Amino acid sequence: MTGADDFVVLHVLRCIGFAGLPRVADAAGLPEAEVESQLIDLAVAGWVTRTPGEFGGWGLTEAGRAEDARRIAGELDATGARGAVTAAYDEFLVLNPELLDLCSAWQMRSVQGVAVPNDHSDPAYDARVLDRFAALDRRADGVCTDLSAALPRFRRYRVRLTAALDRARSGALEHLADSTTSYHAVWFQLHEDLLATLGLPRR
Amino acid sequence: MIHSLAAGAGLSADLIGGKAHGLVVLRRLGLPVPAGFVIDIRACRAFLRDERFPDGLDAELAAAVGDLAADRVSVRSGAAVSMPGMMDTVLDVDVTSELRAAVRAVLASWNTPRAVTYRELHGIPHDLGTAVIVQAMVFGDRDDRSGTGVAFSRDPNTGARTPFGDVLFGRRGDDVVSGRCTPSPLSELAEREPVAWGDLVAALQRIERHYCDACHVEFTVESGRLWLLQVRPGGGTGRAAVRVAVDLADEGLIDRRTAVGRISAQHLRSARTARIRAGFDVLARGQGACPGVATGRIAVTADRAARMAAGGPVILVRPVTSPLDMHGLAAAAGIVTSHGGPTSHAAVVARALGRPAVVAATELTVDADAGCVRAGGRVLPEGTVITIDGTGGEIVLGTAGTVTATGDQHLARLLDWADGISGDRSARPDEERLRAAHARL
Repeated sequence: MTGADDFVVLHVLRCIGFAGLPRVADAAGLPEAEVESQLIDLAVAGWVTRTPGEFGGWGLTEAGRAEDARRIAGELDATGARGAVTAAYDEFLVLNPELLDLCSAWQMRSVQGVAVPNDHSDPAYDARVLDRFAALDRRADGVCTDLSAALPRFRRYRVRLTAALDRARSGALEHLADSTTSYHAVWFQLHEDLLATLGLPRR
Repeated sequence: MIHSLAAGAGLSADLIGGKAHGLVVLRRLGLPVPAGFVIDIRACRAFLRDERFPDGLDAELAAAVGDLAADRVSVRSGAAVSMPGMMDTVLDVDVTSELRAAVRAVLASWNTPRAVTYRELHGIPHDLGTAVIVQAMVFGDRDDRSGTGVAFSRDPNTGARTPFGDVLFGRRGDDVVSGRCTPSPLSELAEREPVAWGDLVAALQRIERHYCDACHVEFTVESGRLWLLQVRPGGGTGRAAVRVAVDLADEGLIDRRTAVGRISAQHLRSARTARIRAGFDVLARGQGACPGVATGRIAVTADRAARMAAGGPVILVRPVTSPLDMHGLAAAAGIVTSHGGPTSHAAVVARALGRPAVVAATELTVDADAGCVRAGGRVLPEGTVITIDGTGGEIVLGTAGTVTATGDQHLARLLDWADGISGDRSARPDEERLRAAHARL
């Protein structure tokens, strides 16, 4: 119960919240069967639990959250990555308001001075937002690269962000801001991961 | 390139920017505006092109500072079109040692990636540039008779003819924007500083008469004395816009044709969104982040929301949201956060889920350990039924009824005027009645 992969799965749950097996496996970048086996081990250790029901899924227990915090702190000390992660987090915070502006612009737009839901009937407007999304994504590349160099477990975010943007560009519009695997959802989890890794509160 | 605000009459907003243009108007109306000057948009364009101050600007700046006779100033951006919050503002700048750097920082903030994105999305040319406004600093944090706030001449949610807004005592403008502090309703200014309040109400009336429209201002009170820092005409959207247009016509500020012309088809569509019926006990106000009305029992954690949802609708109330709240957000009928803003993670998620949401309800405190929400002096245990309005940001106690545009007297009158203009009184959809009138204006 001390392997690297079970830490990956534990920490994925710390960052994405309650989720079914496919979403946990996607976020971890591991096969579902392997992730399920680890989830069961983690459950035996009392760190994760599976809640039934419509809004249920796999999630951390309080003990699991404490265990994750302990391991993350140890990882940061052992690798000496705190400085690099802090610097990348500062870069992230510059991009974050712009990303949220773009998500909002994708969902709502101003028509004759009134904010209305974007019904995606104006391809030129959508193309403008997508272009700016792509430009932001290129700038986010630096953050992802720096984080991956500091702690390799951050590599998965680059893969997931690219996948979401590619899906949106190929016409699956919900993958920018609206689905559980959208660009915003992945970005939101990256934000959570940075806060958790550095032991900072969300403000 | 530099113009005194006192002598700016006749200069266009294209040259000195919308904010400085408004300040010149305020001064000409005899209203209290801190002394200052504006560096016009030509200087910004030259700076953006050459990446240095244009020739002569330093000399003009030195002369303007000499005339200003203030030790400490505010330095603000102000383009010809509004780009709220996209560029830098530098407050409490030492004139002798820091002014040049502050002006440079504001000019350079035209090209931050976020500002570039904003212009792309709103079709604003990248070479437009911004003016820079330098004014004698007034201190909202000088003492307990000081403060800062924003005031609307009419309620932007309803259009009602009562001043609306909020005030933060003992603080500066940047504290209001940052959301670090909890503002009070504007009515508290009337109680604490009646002279400044009287001046503010009179100023709003005067500004309305000038623009022939509703308006809102940013203001600072320094040791009991009112100062105006920005003005913008216009009042609300949807039904609020309709009511303002009809009331202004009744008050004789505009004629009926102008009133009809000010209402767009989009205002009519927006007016159909259900809103909370007036007259309920308002617990707190925030900002609407996703339109619609939702009623449900308060849950203060995502886990509780997911569990309680089996027994009927739930409103999840959180300080902020994280991905760990997603199952609770999905389970909830409506979402409230005490922090954040209309472009926070919570707002994006609420719109993705299609849940009515109110954010920045700063008067609320969520106590997850005690299982309750505090609003002013009141304690609302988990399970208390509330209703939220994701358009106007109201949070009220109990099951509040909703109203739609049907039966709105102001809308009925406006459309009657529209029929008078078009000469067609046949039964047809509201938008067609408006369009026919607009075709004759």
